[in-house]
Amino acid sequence: MRVGDIAVGRSGDKGDILDLTLVAVDDEAYRFLEQHLTAEMAARALSRAMPGTVTRYAVPGLRALKFVIPGALPGGVHASLHAGMHWQKSAISILLDLEIDER
Amino acid sequence: MTAHAGAPVFSIGGGAGFAGDRTDAAVRLAASGEVNAIGLECLAERTLIAALTARAADPEAGADPRLRRRLSPLLPHVRRSGCRIISNLGAANPCSAARKVVALARELDVGSLRIAAIEGDDVMGQLDKVRWEEALPGRLIGAHAYIGSQMIARAIDEDADIVITGRAADSALFAGPLLPHLDQAPEAIAMALTVGHLLECSGQVTGGNYERPGGGGLDARSLADLGFPIAHVQRDGTAEITVLDHDPGIVDRLTCTLQLLYEVHDPSRYITPDGVVDFTTTRIEEIGPRRVRVSGTGFRPAPRDLKVVGFAEEPGMIADVEMGLAGSGAHERALRAADVLRYRLRDWPQEDLRIDIVGIDSILGGASRPANAAANELRVHVSARCPDVEAAQIIEDEVYALTLSGPGGGGSLRSEKRRNIATVTGFIDRDAVPLSLTWEASR
Repeated sequence: MRVGDIAVGRSGDKGDILDLTLVAVDDEAYRFLEQHLTAEMAARALSRAMPGTVTRYAVPGLRALKFVIPGALPGGVHASLHAGMHWQKSAISILLDLEIDER
Repeated sequence: MTAHAGAPVFSIGGGAGFAGDRTDAAVRLAASGEVNAIGLECLAERTLIAALTARAADPEAGADPRLRRRLSPLLPHVRRSGCRIISNLGAANPCSAARKVVALARELDVGSLRIAAIEGDDVMGQLDKVRWEEALPGRLIGAHAYIGSQMIARAIDEDADIVITGRAADSALFAGPLLPHLDQAPEAIAMALTVGHLLECSGQVTGGNYERPGGGGLDARSLADLGFPIAHVQRDGTAEITVLDHDPGIVDRLTCTLQLLYEVHDPSRYITPDGVVDFTTTRIEEIGPRRVRVSGTGFRPAPRDLKVVGFAEEPGMIADVEMGLAGSGAHERALRAADVLRYRLRDWPQEDLRIDIVGIDSILGGASRPANAAANELRVHVSARCPDVEAAQIIEDEVYALTLSGPGGGGSLRSEKRRNIATVTGFIDRDAVPLSLTWEASR
């Protein structure tokens, strides 16, 4: 199951903190993501792009999961070595393109 | 007249979500007569750095340089429809911005306008009271406290048509005009801040930066004319988020939830200068086509400390340089060009160097998915942290030299050299940040 087929997402930042949000399209999708998309799984996927420890926040009332990574953007947006500026707004595609084994 | 519980007591629009945001949607909001006020969020870390740099060269500069473009089409509606404007486009110089608005109002002959500038967020004069989270990595070029809605509300109470701030919290631009119209229960304050957070990124809550799974998002024409959001707010803070009838856009549970949680970190304690809000209890209900009701956000009082953003300039600069390759075998030649640069720059501190390929892995790095087809065009890209201007020039020259001594067909060069400015976070007791109100009038 590709995460982006059952959820919408967006990423942003504050200072050196990367902040990713997923909102499930319905209750079933939320239950699936809440159960399977752990902080560890997100951290593994994101670690190939940036360092950092992932904290996950679950908001069942809004069918949303947040993943927050302090220190992922050393020096903030102005100091990044990625091409161009604000690469972190594209970082959500790492989670949206994640495939989760349904078993 | 007493409004019944479900009737809106105040309507506010989100007219800009960053300094370079489009200007047309806010004009449609102002002209519609449907909103009492429009908040224009025009200040981010990057734009504040630009403003501080401009002010260092010219004491009258430091306000948003787009002030004229943004406000010229809006000012006539401020008088005509009584729609107030609240904006942080004062950036590093709110009083100068207010004087520029006055000059613009006179030039456009839009009648008498009262303009309030709020100053005091610049805390460079009281740095001894700022506690930084980490040691400053370089020379501090600016430090600003995130201020709340109180002074904005006062300015509007004293009949300001336009309120200009510097580093006010984004949510405060909306909570300022809104709060005096609500009952003063904690839940209402929480909802005023919720409305501010939902509106502060303009088109992000009306279908911009949003893709539905499986497609079905907005087409190009709709995105080109995207409507910006309106909140109709009841006395208890319950808000209905929508767009103008004739503006394209999507307002549904998903667009509103994505924006509600955008950049808030812990959703149970989103800290603003006006209070700590808890979005885990917020209810988002679709009550009609493109109409969502939002309620139920929790509230705790704000901490004594205000957050401070500081900008520390480290020596040297960042060079960000690219060369394009086109046609058959572009991918192989781009990989080879990248390897040439790795040889040439092998003595450069590797932690200060990044070599990748635009079209393959320049955004997500190692997390990029493998290319599944040969691209017809790619760009080899280098970013390097450089100790000085001369070193940055070496990086640019090494990329440009590939056009003569690299794989065949390199061209389409692009180079940017930017100062190496780190954003740092600190805290200051709010009592150490006195604010002042300065008035200007166009007649």
